[in-house]
Amino acid sequence: MNHAVELANVHFDYGDEFSLSIQELNLNKGEMALISGGSGSGKSTLLWLIAGLLRARSGSISVAGERMDGVSESAADRIRARHIGLVFQTHHLLPEFSAQDNVALALMAAGEPEKTHASRSRELLNKLGIERVHVPVANLSVGQQQRVAVARAIVCKPTIVLADEPTASLDEVNASQAMDLIQQACREAGAALLCASHDRAMQSRFERVIQVDSFVSSARSHTQTGARA
Amino acid sequence: MNDISIVVKSLRSRRLSTIITAASVAVATALLLTMLSLRTASFEAFQRGTGTTHLLVSADSSPLTAVLNGVFYANAPSNPISWSKFQEIKNGFPYEWVVPTQQGDSFRGFPVAAVGPEFFTRFEPVRGEPWKLVDGQFPSKLFEVCLGSTVAADTGLRVGQKIVLTHGTGASLHAHEHEEFPFVIVGILQPSGSAHDRVVFTDLESSWILHAQERRERAGIEGVATVADLTDDDRKITGILLRLPTRPGRDASAAIQQQFDALRRDTAIVVAQPAQQIDRLRSIIGNIDELFIALGVAVLLSSGISILLSMHNSMAERRKQIALLRALGVARVRITGMILTEATLIGFAGAIGGCALSLIGNAVASGALKSRIGLVVDPTLDPRSTVIIVAGAIVLSALAGVLPAITAYRTPVADNLRPEA
Repeated sequence: MNHAVELANVHFDYGDEFSLSIQELNLNKGEMALISGGSGSGKSTLLWLIAGLLRARSGSISVAGERMDGVSESAADRIRARHIGLVFQTHHLLPEFSAQDNVALALMAAGEPEKTHASRSRELLNKLGIERVHVPVANLSVGQQQRVAVARAIVCKPTIVLADEPTASLDEVNASQAMDLIQQACREAGAALLCASHDRAMQSRFERVIQVDSFVSSARSHTQTGARA
Repeated sequence: MNDISIVVKSLRSRRLSTIITAASVAVATALLLTMLSLRTASFEAFQRGTGTTHLLVSADSSPLTAVLNGVFYANAPSNPISWSKFQEIKNGFPYEWVVPTQQGDSFRGFPVAAVGPEFFTRFEPVRGEPWKLVDGQFPSKLFEVCLGSTVAADTGLRVGQKIVLTHGTGASLHAHEHEEFPFVIVGILQPSGSAHDRVVFTDLESSWILHAQERRERAGIEGVATVADLTDDDRKITGILLRLPTRPGRDASAAIQQQFDALRRDTAIVVAQPAQQIDRLRSIIGNIDELFIALGVAVLLSSGISILLSMHNSMAERRKQIALLRALGVARVRITGMILTEATLIGFAGAIGGCALSLIGNAVASGALKSRIGLVVDPTLDPRSTVIIVAGAIVLSALAGVLPAITAYRTPVADNLRPEA
């Protein structure tokens, strides 16, 4: 099994307003692809479907060979914890937790032995240039917070990292640095990367660009449901 | 990193709110524990003073009045018992000890009790706690008194000083002082935590002489009465404390009820089992007691509601945290458990704080209550009540966490991870 992600005949809709149909979409292990599309085109919806945070109406979704559809929510939680790393536009770090603890959360969720949490988190943060691992992340710069978020996504050595508009709030220079960081980290972790972005300038960074618009079979409004961002 | 460390970090991040909520549980727990301690103390206060007495004989109107007057000095008994009746009762059964008592006089509003010498040597005001003196000795000669601890504390009198007793209570119209018979204070009793602490004790013959003097004055006989002047009519008492023989280490005996029934046949006297009458008193004040407990439970419930409100309010801020944990792969049930654990920890911390607060409060109050109003409060906590109240506080707190936990369970992940969420 060389696919990090496999989608077949997946259908999802938000009632009459929006529906997404994917006949086939595969991503190989270690492959890096960009999901491109305008605002509200369904990029995030596709990521959430793969992550099991939204459930498809029909079709099959597999991550690292394990079916995400048709399994219980707790089974999907386990697959997500073990095989999927998530990077968000606003990082979604817990501000009162230290950098090390934020990274350790992912290890805890994946059921990794507790005694390894501190050392693995610290080593990875140090590797990504974060030395002050015990400082609450609220006290770190935005760039440092981005590194912590990336560390959290790859610390479990996931099969795939799903990045949802990771550079949307950054200027061009910082966006480029952030993408360098994410892609390098995924490469070193051996993880595939599926990055959703509306920024066309990002396309040159990826060997494969998936136009999400091609999956949208009906869309009366692309702005009413934020999850479709 | 584990669930508990997440819970603890979450509580620490809302430090002020957590402390205030736990403090409200602590106050409620302490209040309830203190109320129970005071309740126990007030019940025991009734028991204290009856000491080792099995039966109390008087000529009062009812057994309850006999106990109220004879043990708690509520009023001076109005009807006397003759000395011949006392001898008849004393010789009618092989009692372990018999103590005649006589009340009717007072000193600065404190009751005066004339007692037989066995009162100090055989009777114990609290079982296992015989009389002890802070200073001096027990009265052994005519016109000597020893003061209960409260009397000594309130009047500031010391051993060696002289006092004059008042015939009748201070409130009586016929009250007058026996200035011709000054009494010497020979002893000050240690606090017993009973009504005896506010009594002046003297011997029977001294008391009888005061009344013989009054009789002589009414008859126009001059001079000061002495023991030789006492007639049978002067030798009156108002109560008899009786104790029946028991096996070593035991306080009860089947003979108590038999002798109680035997004495009740004598219509000239009233006989009471103090323990039974105190149980009656307890049942009378039981409703008030339940009211206090109900108030304590209401306070505990209100603290449970404050936990609920505090956590419910925090849920709005924590939707992103919960959504993130879910996105990382933490199951809904596990997050629900964390929220319940949080509520339970607040309750646990509050309950333990409440125990500490109650212990400190009891320790501070017990000394003051004993010396000021003679109420003996055990500074320790009753293990059974403590376990029940602590468990109740924790369960209540956990229940208060159910609604926030349900909110957490239902938190939609995708919506709360949107940048604008």
